[in-house]
Amino acid sequence: MVMLYGLLWRLLLLLVHVNRALVSWLRVRLQSWKSRLWERAMASLLLPLALAGFPEQQKKLNRTPGADDNPSHANGGPSPRLRYISDGMSLQKLPVHIGFLVTEEEPSYTDIANLVVWCMAVGISYISVYDNHDIFQKNHSRLLKEIERQQRHLMGGDGHPYNVEFLSNGSDKCHNGKKKSKVTFVFFVLFFPGAKTIPDPELVVKFGPVDSTLGFLPWHIRLTEFIFVPSHRDVSYKDLLGALKLYSSCQQRVGQ
Amino acid sequence: MSWIKEGELNIIERISANVLKAGPMPKHVAFIMDGNRRFAHINNMERQDGHTQGFNKLAETLRWCKHLNIPEVTVYAFSIENFKRTQEEVDGLMDLARQKFERLLEERENLEKHGVCIRVLGDLNLLPLDLQQAIAKAVLATKNHNKCFLNVCFAYTSRYEMTNAVRELAWGVEQGLIRSSDVSETLITECLYSNKSPNPDLLIRTSGEVRLSDFLLWQTSHSCLVFQSVLWPEYSFWNLCEAILQYQLNHKSIQKARELHREHQASLQLEADRLCTAEELQHHGNGKPTDAHTRQEALLHYITCREERVQNFLTALKHKRDLFFHDLCIEATTA
Repeated sequence: MVMLYGLLWRLLLLLVHVNRALVSWLRVRLQSWKSRLWERAMASLLLPLALAGFPEQQKKLNRTPGADDNPSHANGGPSPRLRYISDGMSLQKLPVHIGFLVTEEEPSYTDIANLVVWCMAVGISYISVYDNHDIFQKNHSRLLKEIERQQRHLMGGDGHPYNVEFLSNGSDKCHNGKKKSKVTFVFFVLFFPGAKTIPDPELVVKFGPVDSTLGFLPWHIRLTEFIFVPSHRDVSYKDLLGALKLYSSCQQRVGQ
Repeated sequence: MSWIKEGELNIIERISANVLKAGPMPKHVAFIMDGNRRFAHINNMERQDGHTQGFNKLAETLRWCKHLNIPEVTVYAFSIENFKRTQEEVDGLMDLARQKFERLLEERENLEKHGVCIRVLGDLNLLPLDLQQAIAKAVLATKNHNKCFLNVCFAYTSRYEMTNAVRELAWGVEQGLIRSSDVSETLITECLYSNKSPNPDLLIRTSGEVRLSDFLLWQTSHSCLVFQSVLWPEYSFWNLCEAILQYQLNHKSIQKARELHREHQASLQLEADRLCTAEELQHHGNGKPTDAHTRQEALLHYITCREERVQNFLTALKHKRDLFFHDLCIEATTA
């Protein structure tokens, strides 16, 4: 009897994995199609909501009408920077401090750099990047170089680069940039606040399949909203904007 | 209504439970029981009735956990932030708590039969004295039960718990029980209200909110987080199974991360011990360089002394906390 239950359990897990694989395959295929078709495909798979990897959040993320994949800098029209700023201002609220929690084993510096540049462009002042193997922490100079590169690529030749200050372990070690539009890029590894002026992250976007904070800033995440995105690889501006829109619709009662 | 709902699972529930139990099961599940007021609003009930339904659902959930062999459950019953609610609502919640803790004492035999140990975590000084006394009686009455554990977070926030732990450590250093160099992440964990429990394996929040709201922030750093949109009074056995399945899907990666964290902590501790030993040797030494054998012996000796200091400190802390409950009970009987 015990063996039978064991077999049934393995079968159940297999079914869930197959479902998830199917869902991610469909998501990629159908993302360019109308969202209604995507919803019908999801419904037809009869997935219990939680098992398909927070598809409730994902349904909301996919339903972002009018959001381009990436404001183009090649064509004419408003400069990409203005476009990002207007997207940021169109949201009811924007986090002052956003955290990216990468639970995937192999991080992609380019994709994280893209996320950082987009965040800076829409007007987010503090960005934390965390993974529990300390990969970004140990290779921060590589990440900073990638950020500079992606700034040039995504913003075109438009105007001044953003100013990035880098803090490590809360110990105020700074690579100071230049003049205005200061953005602080923060690596947090320790649990207690070092630089006292950094606000708590209002939003953490978690990438990857592991449903845990894996030790990210336990003190600071008391009121943080968590939004789950399946992967940071090939993450698009639309994905980020979707997460920010979801965040802006969250209401906090703070005990009341 | 009782804390313990008797009754077996139906045949389908029993089969599903047995299938789940073939995989890794969480030993400690934490619940943020959110959605009572929204439930009341949707069903045109008074808020107070929503909270009562919430309590009933808690009793039912404990029954499911018992059938699923989950021995420990922690629930977020009342936050320090909830004192900001209207006086009427706060008084209603205090009354509900009074009722339930007094009921608990009436069910003492049943609790003994099931081996249920009740603990209440929080800044209990913020509560009305009679409620504190009822809580103290319930906690002491079930103190030695060890089959299953229910931790009720009442007048609780995680930040308060963490700062309180640090305050206790400062007290320990002041009293000469420990040195400031003995303070570590592990020792902080031992000073939290939840120090008798392992960290939760699974944290479930209902009603669709996706935040932790100052609940067990330290303890859930490597727990599986499951956010479900169902309102707490409508929570079902299948919602619980869904959450457990989520835990099972994450089990390997989270175990790996926990192990990595544990190894990192151990290496940090060893490094700190080596540094302290080197300082001591320098301080007590005669200027001559020490050989590896002496250093190793000194290190082992230092570690033994540190562990002894820490044990004594934790015993003193436990005694202080037990005394708090004992004194409340004595006050209650002499009143």
